[in-house]
Amino acid sequence: MASLPLQQHSHPFFNYKGSSHGCSPRPSYPFLCNNRNKVGPIRASTDIPLLRLLQPRQVEESPSELEPADPDFYRIGYVRSVRAYGVEFMEGPNGFGVYASKDVEPLRRARVIMEIPLELMLTISQKLPWMFFPDIIPLGHPIFDIINSTNPETDWDLRLACLLLFAFDREGNFWQLYGDFLPSADECTSLLLATEEDLLELQDQDLASTMRAQKQRAIEFWEKNWHSAAPLKIKRLARDPERFVWAMSIAQSRCINLQMRIGALVQDANMLIPYADMLNHSFQPNCFFHWRFKDRMLEVMINAGQRIKKGEEMTIDYLKGKKNNMFMQRYGFSSSVNPWDVIQFSGNAQVHLDSFLSVFNISGLPEEYFHNTGQLSDDGDSFVDGAVIAAARTLPTWSDGDMPPVPSKERKAARQLQEECQQLLAEFPTNFQQDQQILDSMPDVRKTLEAAIKYRLNRKLFLEKIIQALDIYQTRLLF
Amino acid sequence: MASLSTTWLYQDRGLKCLFSVNGSLAGQSCFQYFQTSFVGSFSAQSVKVRVGVSSNGKTNLFPCVKCVKKDGSFDPLSVERPPYYSYMDSTSGQMEPASGARASIPGQEYWPEGTANRVRAARAPEPTAKSKGSPSYGKNPGSRRKKYKTGIVAAGSSDGICTVESSEGDGTVGSAELTIDTSDPAALETSGNVTEEPKDLSTDYVVYGTEPEEENFSDYELKKKLGEPHPFIDPNAKKPTEEPLSSEELWWNWRKPEKELWSRWQRRRPDVETVFVKAMAETGQVKLYGDHPTLTETNLYRARRHLYKEERLQAEQERLERIGPMAYYSEWVKAWKRDTSREAVQKHFEETGEEENMQLIKMFQHQTDREYRIMMGTDVRIRRDPLAMRMRGDQIKEIWGGDPVYPTVNYIQDPNEVIDYRGPDFHEPTPNMLAYLLEHGKITPREEIEKVLAKQKIEEHELTDVDEAMAQAVDIGENDDEVEDSDVEGVDEVDEKITRNWSVLKSNPELRKSKEKPKKEDPLTLKEAVEDSENLTDFLMDFEEDE
Repeated sequence: MASLPLQQHSHPFFNYKGSSHGCSPRPSYPFLCNNRNKVGPIRASTDIPLLRLLQPRQVEESPSELEPADPDFYRIGYVRSVRAYGVEFMEGPNGFGVYASKDVEPLRRARVIMEIPLELMLTISQKLPWMFFPDIIPLGHPIFDIINSTNPETDWDLRLACLLLFAFDREGNFWQLYGDFLPSADECTSLLLATEEDLLELQDQDLASTMRAQKQRAIEFWEKNWHSAAPLKIKRLARDPERFVWAMSIAQSRCINLQMRIGALVQDANMLIPYADMLNHSFQPNCFFHWRFKDRMLEVMINAGQRIKKGEEMTIDYLKGKKNNMFMQRYGFSSSVNPWDVIQFSGNAQVHLDSFLSVFNISGLPEEYFHNTGQLSDDGDSFVDGAVIAAARTLPTWSDGDMPPVPSKERKAARQLQEECQQLLAEFPTNFQQDQQILDSMPDVRKTLEAAIKYRLNRKLFLEKIIQALDIYQTRLLF
Repeated sequence: MASLSTTWLYQDRGLKCLFSVNGSLAGQSCFQYFQTSFVGSFSAQSVKVRVGVSSNGKTNLFPCVKCVKKDGSFDPLSVERPPYYSYMDSTSGQMEPASGARASIPGQEYWPEGTANRVRAARAPEPTAKSKGSPSYGKNPGSRRKKYKTGIVAAGSSDGICTVESSEGDGTVGSAELTIDTSDPAALETSGNVTEEPKDLSTDYVVYGTEPEEENFSDYELKKKLGEPHPFIDPNAKKPTEEPLSSEELWWNWRKPEKELWSRWQRRRPDVETVFVKAMAETGQVKLYGDHPTLTETNLYRARRHLYKEERLQAEQERLERIGPMAYYSEWVKAWKRDTSREAVQKHFEETGEEENMQLIKMFQHQTDREYRIMMGTDVRIRRDPLAMRMRGDQIKEIWGGDPVYPTVNYIQDPNEVIDYRGPDFHEPTPNMLAYLLEHGKITPREEIEKVLAKQKIEEHELTDVDEAMAQAVDIGENDDEVEDSDVEGVDEVDEKITRNWSVLKSNPELRKSKEKPKKEDPLTLKEAVEDSENLTDFLMDFEEDE
C-alpha cells in the first residue's frame, strides 16, 4: 500500500446511514484502471458525467507523485509538427499520462489538445490489400511477405508488431526515438509477458487459457518467420522471441482503430499513434480522437462542454462496452467499476428493474445508464459508481408495465441474488482482503503479477458491491 | 506642441494638394493615411488609428521632429509619398495599401478553414529544457522512461514540457493575438481618450537604420543607382556563356536516351492486323512467338493475307480462262441446263450466230436474284470472314471501339502507313552483323557446317556398317531405323533454323516439321530467298502450301 499512489476517496466506500452491513472500516482501494501507460490512479469511482459541470471535482492524485516527462519526449515530436495545447505529459510510478496544465472552461465546441501528423504514425489497413501510411516498407522487402502471410481476419496484432519492429530498425524513423518512451518489457502489464504463475493468479481459467493461446501464437509466428535461414534484415528485427512478444504486446495495448481519410481513400486502419497512445483509459472519458482530413492529422479533442481543472488527467475510452476480461486481455488492466461488467446469475430470482433504478437514481436506457446526480439525491450519494451501473445491467430483472413490485418478494429475490453472489465469492480461493494484503506485502512485484492480482481483486470487489447494492435496495425499497 | 500641430496641418494641406486626384479624400483621411503607414510599418497588422484633427493638440504619439522652419514655409514636395498605392477598404473602413503584405489581416472569423489551426501550431513555443538521456534508436525501448522504482530524480525542469496556452477555444483565436505580444493592442488603438498618457513607441521596438550607411558603390552599382545608362548585367558578375556545341559535335556526342519512348513508333498500336493476328493465334490458326504479335508477325500476316487473296483471284482467273466464261459463270445459274463447254458454245455460235457474250446474256436471264447476290458476294446470309465474325467483343472493340460508324478507338487508321523500322539504336553506326554473329558463335560458316554434316554422314555410314552384322543376325525392320534417322536429321535442321531470327519459324514450328520433305528436293533456304528477293514471294507462298 505504501508504494502505491493512493487515491483518497472523498467519500467512504459505503456511507449509507441505515446500513447494518458489517464491513465498515474498509481500506480504501485504489481503483486503478491500470492501463497501458500505467499511469497512476485514474478517477475510476467517478459518477457518470451528466451534470459534471455542476460538480466540483476532487483532485485525485497528489501532484508529488507525478513529474514531467523527459523534455525530449515532447521535443522530438515538436520538431515534427506534433503540438500539444494546454496539456503536459507527466510520468508517474505507473507510467505516462496526459494532464491538463490549466483550467478549461466548458466550451460549446470540442477543442484540440493534441495534433499528431500522419507521418509519425504506423498504420496498416485492417483489410487486404495491406496499405501503409506512411509507406515505410520498401518494395520487395521480406517483412512484407511476413505481413502478407498473416491471417487477414485475426492477426492484426502480428502485423502491427512486425511493422513496429521494422520501424525500430529503419534509419531515421521517428519510432526509433519514440520507442525509448514506450514501456519496456518489465514495465508492460500486458498478459502476453506474464509468466505461467501470473496467469494462475488470475483465478480465471478462460482468460488464462486465452492468454496462453495468444502467447503460443506469437511464439509460433516468431519461429516460423525468424528461423535461422531468415535474411539478416529480418533476423535483426527480433533476435529473440521475447522482443517479438514485447512488440506484440505493445501493438495490442496501443493499437488505435480509426477510420482515416487520405485524399479520396477512406480506410479503416490499425494505427500506432505516438503521444495519443499516452492517454489513459477511463470509462467516462473527457477526450476523443478526431481525424483531421485536411492536413492528415489526428486531433485529440476535449469533449464539448467539459470543464477541466488544472492537473486533471485527460482520458479516452479504449473499448466501449467491453468486460474486464477483455481489458485484461488486451491492455493488462481491469477496473472494479467497469460499468459493462457482467455476472452470470444462474438462479431465477429477479428484482424489479424500475425500482432498482429509482433506488439508485439511475436514468437512461440500458445502453446508456447514468447516475442522475444533483437532481434528486442532494445528499451527495456517492455510493453509486460504475459497478452499480453494471449491476443494473447485469442483475436479472423483471419489468411488467405498471405492475408494482411486492416488497416482500423483492426482498426475497434480492436476498437470493446476494446468496448467489456470496457463492460466487466463495468459489475463489482467496477473498479480497487477502488479495489486498498480498498486494500490500509485495511492493516490488512484477507488473504482470500485480495486474493479475488486481484483476481478481476487482472481480471480488464488484461482487461485493453488488451485494451492498442489493442491501440498499432492500432497505430503500419501501420508499 | 504648437509646432507639431502646424506640421500636421501643413502636411495635411500638402498632402491634400498632392492627392487632388482622389478628391473624395477628406483631410482627416489623409491624416489617417499617413499615420497608418507609419504604424503599419511596425506591426504587420494595421491598427485603427482615429485621431481627429481637432484632438491632435494633445497627441504626443510620435516623437517630435523639429525640422520645420519656424516661419511655417514648407515644401510639399519634401514629404515623401508612401511607396505604394492605397485605397479605401470597405472591410476595415480604412485606407489600406493596395498591394503587398501590408494589407491588414482580417479577423479570425474571416480566415479560411484551417488557418487558425496553423497559426496556433506555428505559435507554439518550442520546449526549452534539456534532456539528460540520449536516444537508443530502437535498440532499447523504454530506456528513457523515468523508471520510478529506480528512483531517478526529477530533471528539475518543471516547465520541461511546456505546452502552449492555447487561446480560448477554437472560436476566439482572435486577431488581437496576432499583434505583437509586448504591445497591448488597446494601447495601439489610440482613440481620443487613450491618448492622455503618451507612449513612445520607439522604445518598444527596435528601430533600424538610425545611422546612414557609408556608401561604397562600385562603378556599376553607382550608375545603376543614379539611373545612368548601364549594362543590364553587372560586368564583374557576368560570366561568358559557354559556346554551344556545333551540330557536328552534337552528332558525335549524342547519347542514347535510357529507357525512353523516343518515337511514337515504339508505341504498340492495336491496328486491325494486330488484333486479327491475335485473334487468329487464340483460335489456333497461327502461332505467335510472344503474347502480342510483333510488328514483323503482323506484317507477315498482312503480306500473307494479301498474297492469298491475290492467289485466289489468280486461280479464279485462270479457271475462267481455262473453261471459258459460260462454264465459269453457269455455276451461279442453276436453271441453265445446257452444255457450257467451249465446244458447245462454239457449236451454238456456228448454229445460231450468237456470239459468246450474247449467250452469256441469255444465260444470265435465267439467273435468280439469290444466285446473283451469291455471285456478287452481296448475300448477307453467307459469312464472308468467319474469323472476323467469331472475334470476341473486346477484340472488336480493340479495333473500332465497338462502333464502326463512329469509331472511338484507333480513329485514325492508315492502312498504308509505313513502318518505322528504326530502333532506338539507329544513331549507332551500323554493325557488321555477319562479323558479330560469327564472333558470338551465333552463325556457322558454310564450310564448317558442311564439315559437320559430312562428319555426321560418315558416322551414320559407320553406324550402318556396324549395324549390318546385327541386322544380319537379327531381323529388324530397316524402316524403323530409317525413320529414326530422318527424325534425327529433322531435329538437327530445326535447331539450325532456330538460330535464325525469323519469327514465323519460331511461331509455328509445325511449318518447319512439315517443311522437311520439300526442303530436301528444293533446298531454298530463307537466306537464299532473301538474297534473290524476287523469290521472297515464292518463299512466302511455300508456307501457305504447307498450311
